[in-house]
Amino acid sequence: MLSERERERYKRQIMLFGDTGQENLKKANIFIAGAGGLGSPVSIYLSVAGVGNLTIVDKDIVDQSNLNRQILHYDRDIGRKKVASAEEKLQAYNPDINIRIIDATLDESNADRLIGNADGIVDAMDNYPTRYLLNGIAQKKKIPLFHGAIRGFYGQATTIIPGKTACLRCLFPSAPPQEVFPVVGATPGVIGTIQTTEVLKYLLGTGELLTNRLLIWDGMAMHMDEISFERNPACISCGTECEASTSRIVASKKEIRRKKK
Amino acid sequence: MTVKVRFFARFRELLGTDIIVSPMEGIVLSDLVKEVAGRNREGYQAIFDEEGVFKEFVILMQNGKRVENSAAGMTLVKDGDEIAVFPPVAGG
Repeated sequence: MLSERERERYKRQIMLFGDTGQENLKKANIFIAGAGGLGSPVSIYLSVAGVGNLTIVDKDIVDQSNLNRQILHYDRDIGRKKVASAEEKLQAYNPDINIRIIDATLDESNADRLIGNADGIVDAMDNYPTRYLLNGIAQKKKIPLFHGAIRGFYGQATTIIPGKTACLRCLFPSAPPQEVFPVVGATPGVIGTIQTTEVLKYLLGTGELLTNRLLIWDGMAMHMDEISFERNPACISCGTECEASTSRIVASKKEIRRKKK
Repeated sequence: MTVKVRFFARFRELLGTDIIVSPMEGIVLSDLVKEVAGRNREGYQAIFDEEGVFKEFVILMQNGKRVENSAAGMTLVKDGDEIAVFPPVAGG
């Protein structure tokens, strides 16, 4: 149930999706991987929209060079843990939601446990190895993954619904080289708010999601394009051919073991 | 035949986009992209390695369908095709 205060706070969006929609947001649990350039607008807008339970994971400390884009963090936060800074700001934006912070680097050993049974995973990472990890867990647990990435004045976003749509690996089987990427803060602002819009639509069960489509934003030319893509049957993360070949390998290993006995 | 080649992000900066070309019949996808990208040295180098092979992360699409980089040398280009070439971005 929404309190009087909540009903007043969300008045202008309850006009869009009613008390039921707002209650659905309140019940939701979203996992945000990263409290940086994308994680800032994503977590701020999910907070003010009243998404009731947000988990934010980041291991970094606020650095002066982050401040051109990571709008969760202020100059006075330099040297502070990003998640501590994030929690303070988000709770100040909206005291009616629960913020859970995790000061950790997401890796094979902890990601599955930390994601738990979230309703959605927001990819606000800055590297593909961790994105592939999130993609794998999303596939395994059937949790939607809201992908976003940026560089300079460019950005891209897509929404992955495991079992229904192509996955991140279908689209990007190989990671681009790692680099210290140039960026202006408005770019993660654009892409992060697109990801947030997708999360809200998904939780509300409304609108058309950015599924099997990669949205490409070019701030230089001020063009927004999209490219459709399909599931790759040979995808190493979600492909049916791959599942078949994995089960064949498992079967043959079992056979070998049996023969040894 | 007439084909449209679309470059995105950094590739667009270097090579432009929505380039309409009239290649020879029977041209394969990799040769088409080489021909168009060859107009700008830096653009070419952003897409191909020293051996003229697509860099691993470059994404190729033919009419909205992904073409594996390794298959681009065997994929025929047809009249009216729309080819998209883009680099995924990684930052967050």
